[in-house]
Amino acid sequence: MGAKRRLLALPGVSVILIFAVAPLFIMLYYSFQGDSQGAGLTLENYTRFFEKQFYLSLTWSTIKNSIFVTLVSLAVSYPLAYIMAKKLKGVRNIVLVLIIIPFFTNQLVRVYSWLIFLQDGGILENVLSALGIINGALGLLYTRAAVVIGLVHAFFPYMVITIYLALEKLDNALLEASASLGASKFETFRKITLPLSAPGVAAGLLLVFVPCLGTFVEPRILGGVNGMVIGTVIEDQFFRIYGWNFGAAVAFILLAMVIVSVSAFSRLGRGGSLE
Amino acid sequence: MKTTTRRSLAFVGVMLIFAVLSAGCTGGTGSVPTLNIVNWESYGSDDPAFVAAFESEYGCKIANQYMQSEEDLLTKLRTSKPGEIDLCLPNCTILTAAIEAGLLEEIDVGRLENFGSLFERFKTQKEVMMNGKYYAVPWVWGSTAIAYNTDLISRPPDSMSVLFDEAFAGKIAFRDDYNDAIMAAAIVTGQDPNNPGDLVAIKEALANQKRLNRNYWETGDEFSKLFVGGQLSVAMMWSGQAASMKLEGEPIAFVVPADGAIGWVDNWGIVTGTKNKDLAYAFIDWMISRDFQYNWAANGGPAPVNREAADAVDPDYAAAAAMDEASLNRLFFMEYRSDEVKREWNELWTEVKATN
Amino acid sequence: MNKSSFFSGGLVLLALLFLYAPIAVLIAMSFNASKYNRLPFEFSTRWYQDLFQNEALLAATWNSILIALATGIICVLLATLLVLGAQALSRKMQRALQSATLMTLTVPWLILGLSLLLMIRALDFSKNLFFLLAGHVVIALPYSVLALQARVQSLDPALEEASGSLGAGPLTTFRRVTLPTLAPAMVAGGFLSFMISFDNFVISYFLAPFGFTTLPIEIQSAIKFGFTPEINAVSTIIIGISLGCLAVAGLLLELGVSQPGKKNNRSQFLLDVSAPKQYNKT
Repeated sequence: MGAKRRLLALPGVSVILIFAVAPLFIMLYYSFQGDSQGAGLTLENYTRFFEKQFYLSLTWSTIKNSIFVTLVSLAVSYPLAYIMAKKLKGVRNIVLVLIIIPFFTNQLVRVYSWLIFLQDGGILENVLSALGIINGALGLLYTRAAVVIGLVHAFFPYMVITIYLALEKLDNALLEASASLGASKFETFRKITLPLSAPGVAAGLLLVFVPCLGTFVEPRILGGVNGMVIGTVIEDQFFRIYGWNFGAAVAFILLAMVIVSVSAFSRLGRGGSLE
Repeated sequence: MKTTTRRSLAFVGVMLIFAVLSAGCTGGTGSVPTLNIVNWESYGSDDPAFVAAFESEYGCKIANQYMQSEEDLLTKLRTSKPGEIDLCLPNCTILTAAIEAGLLEEIDVGRLENFGSLFERFKTQKEVMMNGKYYAVPWVWGSTAIAYNTDLISRPPDSMSVLFDEAFAGKIAFRDDYNDAIMAAAIVTGQDPNNPGDLVAIKEALANQKRLNRNYWETGDEFSKLFVGGQLSVAMMWSGQAASMKLEGEPIAFVVPADGAIGWVDNWGIVTGTKNKDLAYAFIDWMISRDFQYNWAANGGPAPVNREAADAVDPDYAAAAAMDEASLNRLFFMEYRSDEVKREWNELWTEVKATN
Repeated sequence: MNKSSFFSGGLVLLALLFLYAPIAVLIAMSFNASKYNRLPFEFSTRWYQDLFQNEALLAATWNSILIALATGIICVLLATLLVLGAQALSRKMQRALQSATLMTLTVPWLILGLSLLLMIRALDFSKNLFFLLAGHVVIALPYSVLALQARVQSLDPALEEASGSLGAGPLTTFRRVTLPTLAPAMVAGGFLSFMISFDNFVISYFLAPFGFTTLPIEIQSAIKFGFTPEINAVSTIIIGISLGCLAVAGLLLELGVSQPGKKNNRSQFLLDVSAPKQYNKT
């Protein structure tokens, strides 16, 4: 059974191997090419990244920002997914689709709409001053807060969906049994709900954190003059100048960081659950 | 459950058939030749009226594919099969690289009826030629200079240094583009914009300028949304977009200041390996004809290289859109730069943007 | 109880309000006369009239929908098989698979698209819709996979074995035991992959053959000089149709609510049996 079952993974694995891994070897080759011709393989693209202080600080600020966005998304998504799975019996599928529908629009168009919504003299400012909450300019656009709003909006639905998928299967009878055995609400949550939702949380964290590292549209349009992120550097190497070698190197550095931190994280998680 | 699975399988089948069928369609359009053009979006060659007229005149089809940047056009040329692209529109910053890489064919300008009517200065640009032979034909030009809000500023600014002026702090939008940023800073620091010697001074000027901005803008869309939101007094801007925003009734004016600004020229090139050479020549000839150039220029397009077309444009409009000869003579036209220079400039600009 | 459901409802509404804030702006601007989204608002249907004359934009939209549909379906099938097959793999293989999935999620799409293009060129193929679709599948696959991974742990191997030992063939077991558990994740994963593909610019940009464009390509190209609210109009129509479909589906579900109820009871019963065992394992 096991051997036969393993074959099920074959189509997916071959698609990834043929159309992602194989072509990426071409880029890996570029990342070891020097800018001057015929120099053979070189590490200069990688060392250049680590020698320039601003590439490192840019990377670090991008990571910090992504972590922050991921945490905010978790804080928003978990309660929402919990309510959908446990409280909204009849309409939860409808709510689920309602969460997805806004993303049938284009990312750029959505971000520009945020710009119109958030800018000074824009819609939010008008609404808030009509309610008497603020007086004068809102001053929200082109701040870090605006970027976080844009990014959380763009990515938290993924987390809602994965956590919901894990929680929805959780049986109410189990919770009731736990309660009838005298467990407090918090204890039930900690001992039953939380562990069972863990796979959903893990998948959601990845689906928010990783794409967040690479995106550059929201930071540029909502973040003002300090809206540069590491994704911008990569984009520039391919669309602004002929810098494929360096661009590929930066992308592989980012990839290495993600794979190392995720496997460390999951080992940590496994160690934690063994205790 | 079973029917759902079966239904979705059937669905996939249908989709695949669709995909294969449409692949077949794009492959064989039959006997009508197709002229494949790489250009900017909404930039002349995809104008419906022109496309219809050209297609019926020459019994062919025109297919446009859009480019995202000059560098991206080079990528497209490098990764396409011979014959896939017939024509493209490089500017001077990449032309030499494209010619040296053998991506463009030599052009016999004698076959172009309208070539004689072009302004001498564009005909003789050094980038369109190599070893005395033509590889590209100039088409339109324009400027990247200063736009200002006429509700907020009454006198036209007379220097690029207005973009570096504390007096407008928080109401400035600078262009997010390494080339434009460095050329503008070179003008302000009194250097040759195409060969600045003192990059340290330029970096310092740009770093000081950074905090004066409402924002950097990269696409025309970012600029226009800021501008109509009343957020800007002065900005770096393209002549063409300022002119068309003015036609829409926005309180915008455009000026090429006394100390100069950035000029650019877009040129048509015929791609090596084209199977539609005659059509390509006919296309270029149409593009540089007096009528096409005049109609476009008078309706919010960039400035014509055809002298007869330029003379026909209303002088007041020409001055407002900075198409007049006085503006032209104040411009520093972008020249070809090597990959090394581009990398250096881009890294400088990245550092300015990445440093808080 | 009442207070808590009031609180729950409020939270859901708040989240939807946040999600739909930019969508409301987008819709409003599709009816605003100003090309540059100038406020105050001035009603106009100009952009809808323009849109219906813009054949290129309509064709691009249709292309995007077709590709996204195909991508969504293919991704769900591949991901379901992948996730089920991965359960039988060793830890090490599972980790390698995880890294491969992460790779397509982490490496910028621009680089994936360009390397795929370079590979196609190196093998002397022309750009065609097959490779375009393959590119979309590769970038959208992790989303389906991760959605299914969130769910697949709820599968109880003991239950599948029990089904087998009771004489059910593998297909029957799949249909009766595996599929009902995974179905919600398959639907959700399909939606996610659809939406990744539908909104993708850079893969299509590198791999689309001449004469074939998608909505994101049209938008991204238009943005150099500023896109017109026609784009808002087409987005509004897509949102409108989606909401309409949702309303119809909701209504149908409402009408047929007693039927699925029965099915639910059965799966609930199965879960009762399996739950404690599964709980011990974690």
